[in-house]
Amino acid sequence: MGNNYLIIALVFFPFAAGIGSYIIGRFHQLARDVFLYFALALELTGACCLFATVGTVDSFVWEGFASLGLHFKLDGFHISMSILASFIWLMTTLVSKEYFKGARGTNKYFMFILFTLGAMQGVFLSNDLYTAFIFFEVMSFASYPMVIQNETEEAIDGSNSYLGFAVFGSLVSLMGLFMLQSILGTLQIDQLIEAASHVTNYALLYVASALTLVGFGVKAGMFPLHTWLPQAHSVAPAPASAMLSAVITKAGIFGIIVVSCNIFLHDAQWGLAIVIFGTLSMVTGAILAVFSNNIKRTFACSSVSQLGFVIIAIGMQCILGEHNALAVRGTVLHMFNHSLLKLALFMGAGVIYVCMHTFDLNKLRGFGRKKSVLWFVFGMGLLGLAGVPLFNGYISKTLIHESIVEYIGMMPEQTAFAGLMQTVEALFTFSGGLTLAYMLKIFVAIFIEKNPDNQAKLDAKKTYMSKLTMGVMIVSGVILPIIGTLPYWTQDLLADTAQGFMHGHAPASPVNYFSLINLRGAAASIAIGIIVYFLFIRVCLMKKNENGIKIYADVWPSWLSIERMIYRPVLLRLLPFASALAARTIYVAGDTAVRLFRKLLFFKSKDVFTPPTNHRFGTYDAPVQPKRIINKSLAYSLLLFGVGVVAVMLYLMIINAS
Amino acid sequence: MSAFFLLFLPVIVPILGGFGLLIARFKSRMVRQIYVGAIVIVNMVLSLVAIFAAPKGQIVTLVPFTDTFSIALRLDGMAAFFGFILCTLWVVATFYSFEYMKHEGKETKFFSFYTMSFGVTMGLAFSANLLTFYLFYELLTLGTLPLVMHAMNPQALYAGKKYIIYSIGGAAFAFIAMVFIMYYGVSLDFTFGGILNLTQIVGREQWLLVVFVLAFFGFGVKAAVFPLSGWLPSAGVAPTPVTALLHAVAVVNAGVYALVRLIYYTFGTVFLSGSWAQYVVMSAALITIVYGSSMALRTAHLKRRLAYSTVSNLSYMVFGLTLMTPEGLVGGLTHMVVHSILKILAFFCVGAILYKTHREYVYEINGFGRKMPITMATFTIAAIGLMSIPPLPGFLSKWTLGTAAVYSGNPLAYAGIGVLIFSTLMSALYMMQIIFKAYFPNKEIDVAVLTKDVRDPNLFMTVPFILLSVVAIVLGIYHQPLMDMFSNIAHGLF
Repeated sequence: MGNNYLIIALVFFPFAAGIGSYIIGRFHQLARDVFLYFALALELTGACCLFATVGTVDSFVWEGFASLGLHFKLDGFHISMSILASFIWLMTTLVSKEYFKGARGTNKYFMFILFTLGAMQGVFLSNDLYTAFIFFEVMSFASYPMVIQNETEEAIDGSNSYLGFAVFGSLVSLMGLFMLQSILGTLQIDQLIEAASHVTNYALLYVASALTLVGFGVKAGMFPLHTWLPQAHSVAPAPASAMLSAVITKAGIFGIIVVSCNIFLHDAQWGLAIVIFGTLSMVTGAILAVFSNNIKRTFACSSVSQLGFVIIAIGMQCILGEHNALAVRGTVLHMFNHSLLKLALFMGAGVIYVCMHTFDLNKLRGFGRKKSVLWFVFGMGLLGLAGVPLFNGYISKTLIHESIVEYIGMMPEQTAFAGLMQTVEALFTFSGGLTLAYMLKIFVAIFIEKNPDNQAKLDAKKTYMSKLTMGVMIVSGVILPIIGTLPYWTQDLLADTAQGFMHGHAPASPVNYFSLINLRGAAASIAIGIIVYFLFIRVCLMKKNENGIKIYADVWPSWLSIERMIYRPVLLRLLPFASALAARTIYVAGDTAVRLFRKLLFFKSKDVFTPPTNHRFGTYDAPVQPKRIINKSLAYSLLLFGVGVVAVMLYLMIINAS
Repeated sequence: MSAFFLLFLPVIVPILGGFGLLIARFKSRMVRQIYVGAIVIVNMVLSLVAIFAAPKGQIVTLVPFTDTFSIALRLDGMAAFFGFILCTLWVVATFYSFEYMKHEGKETKFFSFYTMSFGVTMGLAFSANLLTFYLFYELLTLGTLPLVMHAMNPQALYAGKKYIIYSIGGAAFAFIAMVFIMYYGVSLDFTFGGILNLTQIVGREQWLLVVFVLAFFGFGVKAAVFPLSGWLPSAGVAPTPVTALLHAVAVVNAGVYALVRLIYYTFGTVFLSGSWAQYVVMSAALITIVYGSSMALRTAHLKRRLAYSTVSNLSYMVFGLTLMTPEGLVGGLTHMVVHSILKILAFFCVGAILYKTHREYVYEINGFGRKMPITMATFTIAAIGLMSIPPLPGFLSKWTLGTAAVYSGNPLAYAGIGVLIFSTLMSALYMMQIIFKAYFPNKEIDVAVLTKDVRDPNLFMTVPFILLSVVAIVLGIYHQPLMDMFSNIAHGLF
């Protein structure tokens, strides 16, 4: 089979376009913007064209690239992810022009977002963990300038932890990949199942895969490696946050899927571990989001939580084994729904920031009143994210929820395992409720409450975004209810296309999304959400300030951060100190040996070697300033000795030659 | 041309040329630069001709002492590979030093020894047997000593003393091994797979292992292996071209090269593999890796930080060698190439900072990123490469080393992967600290005042930077021929 050059073009075109845009931007800003739109539209078209080539030539192999070669392959999932990435890049770039108006260094920024896009395509189209890893690394580093773009103290701090986690994760993954390569003999994704079935030493395979998972888990914000995510996503420029949240985190999910659905296809133990980590991320993210008073931070924490839902779905795929159709479809759909939701929400946050230069909920109170487009986008985001029926998040959450319920139903009697799964189910519903609660907190503050200080000034801001931005916002907002109300014509098609990658099958009968039992699950979540909002957020998280006005108080204790308490001290202080101490302790032995050796060699002249009093070899009288280098130094004598040796040798050679 | 001239000329031309420089009095700086440049370039051409045209494996005897005991040169795969790295990087470094040495002074003396060392290292590369190797190894110590002591201030003299004591002392250990090999080996000529007479050593294996360990640590001095690595950070007081070329490439790689010759061509992996000696030497390499990279993070002086980084990186190679498998050798050699290019680049950049601004500490380079764009950009490439981020070549060597370690099945090698990863993490920290400082200065510092007269150096320096970065990137993406060659060397085919 030949090579599909469209794939490689999709991967490397953004790199070329990035350099191109940088050069153009040096001369003309507007020309660069047009070039960017054009390049990204082309990329999106190219990604859509991939569908046309499926079935004929659907792979690309570049043997010998970086020794193991590059392997790309097409199937529905790969292509859908590639289209998603291109789409989100195009949308966010369209609003970037307004967001970055007057900012410095945008040229560099656009170059790096294009590089990141190229690397994203490399990850999503790869058919090889090695290829995926290479592009994953390029992506981590190319996205770093995006995060640090603002160059404020917080931005530098946040992006440092972004980079720190990325490097840590990738190194651990690398170790896992070494082991997988030696255990399985291949890293090609479509050969993993076959290779894994021959493995005898299962314990080692678990270790190797768990290590590999760390790097991907970091990107997917998996607990306890999530701490960088709220920081980095909230300090990055809003369009960059949209990309990070909507797409780059999915690269991590992609890796988790590859490991879980190929190496551990239908392996319940592995699945259980994944479910537990997913549940922890889901709950942690949601709780953090409830406490946050910074809208972008809330969205970022929400990403951790929503990705937790996806990770649970991946785990359920493994647990359910052959009957995992619901979980498979839930995984795919929630990935896509989350991306679209976060695109809309982060762009909304960006629009607010352009006007107000803050993300603080207290300062933004009442900003959204009488701003219908913004209201619409945030409203759709709220309803979709909270899983309200008729909106997109409902469909995928229902699928995941049903897969858990189905598994509980399948179990014959009460066991510890069943109890665990029931806990997961309860936490699932609870986190769904928290989702509604934190979204309500934002929505009520911005769009319903009045600003206690200057409501009139906020209301006066009529033109708060350009026509272009408004168009983009409306498009991203309108998609959400459409795919939510018409799941059979939109979401199901997507699921059908993509499920092959996870070895899933279509369910025996189409899922009735709007059946009574499913609606009841959603209703339970919504009820919990409303209770939490009114009884917890409005009561405990709002305090009266000195003027007697209720504000959103920052109740979360600032010291309570895993990163500041554990990760940073361990990595930056303890680890280098301990290892240097250990190594130095061992070194003392070596140094002693050397000192002994020196003493033996120069036992008469103990202080000869202590600079700076007397620093020449073998001399004991008062130091004389050397006029020429050929004085009394031992080094020079040795050198001359060397010269003599060479001379003698040359002489011998001449004798020998004659 | 006969094999004799092909191999002998690259060794003798720079040595004589260096002497010429000491004797002749050049009227102007320019004439001397041209003379040095000509010698170095001519010698590069001679070396390349030798590497590609000389008959492989033919021994050229220079001085026969007895039938089995002689000074002789020979070209084999290892020699060709090592010679190639040396002769190409030497030229780059020479052009860099033309500019750099302006501010150090005593240039005639410097360039004469610098050129002589070129010949000596080529001799080291082409050595056919242990005796010749030993000779050139000692000559290298002596030839580079004046370079280390160049500044002739107390620190430089101290560093020089430390260097010579460690090196000569180490060589003494290696000498013991030579004596034993003369007795227990079939000959002194390097042969892939070892030259021990396996029937003769029956019953004396333990003694030979002890001798091997002694020789390992003896030759290991130049490769900065625990516990005798102390000289390398101290020698950082030498002029930057010396630290860059000799202490990141020539001298230290000569140490690694010596260990290759010792493990794979003298004692042989069949004899050593699985013995306690292997565990001893591998642990030494691992301890050095941890030590070097942790110390680098705790050192604020830029050149010393890189020197500690070199200590740890050299032991990556040594770790690869001590796996005692063909894959391990491939990993070690790959890292030798990769590290040479990246570290010489990193040192050059730091040297350029020192040369242009006289700043030598990490905390002094706030905001240099925008003022020295080429220097810092190329430094970033080197740093990211050393952090082993694909597609830069550091990743390639880490990958080959890691897979080799897993394939070897040695339990200590698994620990070794952990150590490699720890060290990479440390290198990410110590390298990124520099880059952060340069690109994202502290807000409270008035960068504009601090970096008023900071700018990129001239073309003598920046061209080598760009050349090396390009080579690094290309090597990271396309390296199949190189890997094939290593694989051939490691299986004794070349």
